[in-house]
Amino acid sequence: MALMPKRVKHRKSQRGRIKGNATRGNTVAFGEFGLQSTQAGHIRATTIEACRIAANQYIRGEGKLYIRIFPDKPKTARPLETRMGTGKGEPDHWVAVVKPGTVMFEIAGASRDAARECFNRVAHKLPVGCRLVERRPGT
Amino acid sequence: MSTATKLTANQRSKSGSRNAHRLRLEGIVPANVYGHGKDPLQISVPAETARPLVASGHKVVDLEIDGATEKVLLREVQWDTFGNHLLHLDFMRIDAEQRILVDVPIHLRGTAPGIVAGGILEQPLHALHVDCLAIEVPDEIAVRINSLDIGQSIHVRDLTDLPPSVVIKNPADAVIVHCVKPSAVEDVAAPTPGGVEPEVIGKKKDDGEG
Repeated sequence: MALMPKRVKHRKSQRGRIKGNATRGNTVAFGEFGLQSTQAGHIRATTIEACRIAANQYIRGEGKLYIRIFPDKPKTARPLETRMGTGKGEPDHWVAVVKPGTVMFEIAGASRDAARECFNRVAHKLPVGCRLVERRPGT
Repeated sequence: MSTATKLTANQRSKSGSRNAHRLRLEGIVPANVYGHGKDPLQISVPAETARPLVASGHKVVDLEIDGATEKVLLREVQWDTFGNHLLHLDFMRIDAEQRILVDVPIHLRGTAPGIVAGGILEQPLHALHVDCLAIEVPDEIAVRINSLDIGQSIHVRDLTDLPPSVVIKNPADAVIVHCVKPSAVEDVAAPTPGGVEPEVIGKKKDDGEG
């Protein structure tokens, strides 16, 4: 099941703007390799789920995958073939807001080649540019 | 054991983010030196000498500022968002005989039999917080995993072959590395039931019709 919050304060949120680079969540914290975003964007919960499945199919039994982003922003949509007006649409899906520099996924216990191939498959599913990053010494 | 590396720096007169930005464009990293009751100094270090120092993992540095040499500890390193450029360095003045608290990276040595048997190696702890003499800061702490089987773990208390002056400050029962059995992976995502929404905090549920 795709990720979504259990409780929220408001059902709908405004669209917002994504400004600047990530100042937190921009280092590899749990594993040895990470997939870092180079662009800003919204990642749908279903996309994260697709990435998880793609990664687990490849690294099956060879490493552990960490998902560092969570879709906590609701996006609304209007029903098909309805006229404009009558207020904002109903919540349709959930997205994670990603800034350039955000480490979205991490892998522990896998070799560099395996991590590269795994993240290559994951990156194909993502709507933002990505790059492979390694744990920085001393962190 | 960490041997002191030499680093030459210049004192800088202009402070502030704009001047720091200009220095970075010229390939110079702004830095600070503080501690031991002396006035803090604003210095600048060439990036081409600072980067190898940071990459080497050496903590104790002989810092030469305008001809005078001080023994300092590399306390903090700031990187840009993508980890490509050094932004700032913090150096703390130390005495050679002083005991200091410092984070030392853990390096795993050997191949665990548990991995060969199909297990996954998980390392919750990547650095140890140690108390040691300033001149004896280890570059890394080696942890041998040659006998780590599936279901076994190595705790902080299991580390015995440490340098004599090093005292680990992490909890003794903290897990450094463990080998776990791979869990069954559910590949098929269950479809999200339509209309399921999270609970809205503070909103009262309708009592029903009427």
